Amino acid sequence: MATATFPKKPPSPNNAYVVEHVEPTPATQVYLPEIFKGLGVAMKHFFRNTKEMVRGERPDPVTESISQGITTISYPEQKRPYPERFRGLHRLTQRDDGSPRCVACLCCSTACPAQCIFIEAGEYPEGDARRGYERYPVKFVIDELRCIFCGYCVEACPCDAIRMDTGMHAVPYDSREQFIYRKDLLLAASGRDGSHETANPRHEPGDESHPGVTRHHMTH
Amino acid sequence: MPTFTYDGTTIPFEPGETIIKAAWRQGIEIPHYCWHPGLSAPANCRMCLVEIAPAPGQRAMMLDVLEWDPALNDYRPRQKPKLQPACQMQAAEGMQVRGDTSENVREARKGVQEFLLLNHPVDCPICDQSGECKLQDYWLEHGQYQKRMRDEPIHKPKAVRFGPSIVYDAERCVMCTRCIRFMDEVAQDPVLDMRERGNLNEVFVAPGRELTGHYTFMTEHVCPVGALTTVDFRFKARVWFLRTAKSVCQGCATGCNAHLDYDPRYNKVYRYRPRDNEQVNQYWMCDEGMVSYKRAHTDRVLDPRVKGATATVKKALEAAKSQLEGVPGEGVAVVLSAQHSLEDNWALRELAGTFLGTRSFYATGLGEGYADTILIHADKNPNTRGVLELVPSLRSFGQLIDDIEAGKITHVIALGGETPVADSRTEAALDRLAGLVVIAAHDGPLARAAHVILPATSWAESSGTYVNAKGLHQVAEKAIEPQGAAAPGWQLVAELGQALGYDAQWTKLKQVRARMIQVPTVPESFTVRPSSQATP
Repeated sequence: MATATFPKKPPSPNNAYVVEHVEPTPATQVYLPEIFKGLGVAMKHFFRNTKEMVRGERPDPVTESISQGITTISYPEQKRPYPERFRGLHRLTQRDDGSPRCVACLCCSTACPAQCIFIEAGEYPEGDARRGYERYPVKFVIDELRCIFCGYCVEACPCDAIRMDTGMHAVPYDSREQFIYRKDLLLAASGRDGSHETANPRHEPGDESHPGVTRHHMTH
Repeated sequence: MPTFTYDGTTIPFEPGETIIKAAWRQGIEIPHYCWHPGLSAPANCRMCLVEIAPAPGQRAMMLDVLEWDPALNDYRPRQKPKLQPACQMQAAEGMQVRGDTSENVREARKGVQEFLLLNHPVDCPICDQSGECKLQDYWLEHGQYQKRMRDEPIHKPKAVRFGPSIVYDAERCVMCTRCIRFMDEVAQDPVLDMRERGNLNEVFVAPGRELTGHYTFMTEHVCPVGALTTVDFRFKARVWFLRTAKSVCQGCATGCNAHLDYDPRYNKVYRYRPRDNEQVNQYWMCDEGMVSYKRAHTDRVLDPRVKGATATVKKALEAAKSQLEGVPGEGVAVVLSAQHSLEDNWALRELAGTFLGTRSFYATGLGEGYADTILIHADKNPNTRGVLELVPSLRSFGQLIDDIEAGKITHVIALGGETPVADSRTEAALDRLAGLVVIAAHDGPLARAAHVILPATSWAESSGTYVNAKGLHQVAEKAIEPQGAAAPGWQLVAELGQALGYDAQWTKLKQVRARMIQVPTVPESFTVRPSSQATP
């Protein structure tokens, strides 16, 4: 006769503890005092919330989680401000002439754990001061659906060319195509302060401070 | 063999060898910028300083230094052992050398690294060397400090054209003089030199000259940092995406060993880098060889074609069968190619021997060209020795043209599309043929005249053996995946044999090589199928 083997009962988890049994007392056995206690708590909240609603008082949304009072906000009309370091949608920062600061070094797409950044690097056209010195991104595509908003691309960027300081969270769209952010869209986005540049200065070819000033005795 | 110890490791050396070279041969790398195994040792980067214990009975060379003592809150005189450059010290019997284990050496390396990086621009995002840069590597290994100099770094010329192929960036240069010494000692054209002093130091080209010649790319490859870049590779790829296959240069019969760097994502080859081989090319490669990687993508035959129209492999094999069936053996010439690997040629020789019993073997390939005494061979084919080993009585391509014109040859089975000469006479002769079946990787007169053409893989897409002018059998590894409909040449030969009613005794490269080693005089690796019902 074949004996069926049953799986072993799993061991009890280590964090299990015995709940203390509360002995009933006459005060709890008659119910009414406890019911009034509970109602008291409910009414306290009811009156405070009503007072705050009538006065239009709102707790500070930043500290609301640790303060007393109503914690509900009417979402689309009222929004909680995001913290200063919130990583929102990406933007490409601009130089003074509006071109991207990006030099297509591919550090961000290399660092990206979700592999959502695609860059096609290209040479600046003939006659450009940066030709032969830098590259620029012909295509710069971020798939925001794949992005996990880890900020590694911003960490990796040696030129401060990609940032996540737009303060916008991912927007709901109705097609996948709309989540593919391309260069012009990324360049059009501004930081939370409304600027398209960054606070970090850049030396451009031709500046006095720019590397590569030609010596007066240079012959080639 | 006498020995010395480096950090407790016993290293044998040949008398007269320097410490760094003996260690390098043992696979121990003493950090260095300016030393290169194939060049002289100038000892001007000071990165390879090592501490050498004094010889028995001698006093150690000491250096008086002042050291800050936080307890005294003042400088305190101290003695340190004087370090010596490993690239110039000749190793001696029983010498005790300390590198990583010596506090002084570690401190010196860190100091040298900091000195070299004082004015070095952090150009890594726009520098082609990033990812394979000695400055980056050694900073991680021996540096790991923050920059202490608060001044603006010295600015020097950037993106200076040294010549048609090389761009120089003076800011990134660490003045190791490797390129100068390479041009001087190996290329024997001392066109580079240094000017200025201190932090204005820069490499420049002799006035009135450009950096030209047949060995300009090597200056970029000996450069340990990103100061020299080639126009060809500049801004094309980031090296950390590239994968490397050990390959053999196809440019000429020297058969220089090379690394073929390719990007597996795009199936694209990006560059050659020389691979060390003392017997063939030491550490060098020529310019023509360096840019010959482009042949992996240019002038390729990618689809089977019948009479110039694209067809499927099946259709092409049927056409080949209809062309070759029932033709008497003496009218068929078999053309082996010095451009194709030994395996492809061997397979065709076997098929020809079985199918035709033919002894009319001819050779094709590219013609002769520039040669020098350093590396470049006049014969521009990687495998001339190989086809001659297979068929010692090989006749030249010119002989084939003569024989076609004389009417001796009516059908040709050929490997490779190239011919030594591409003139109207060749074309006219090839047009006279009643049948021309070509298995080729590259375009050429033969491929253009072919009635039936089958696309073979180039050296970059399948592993193959090439025999260089010295008779060394060298294997080029597979790098990228086959492009288009290309398949290995030996496999196409087997399929052609099958279409004609012969079964190959091999299906894998391994089996081909195992049989090839025997190089039997009588072809025996094809068997006639009992029913002559050929199935393409």
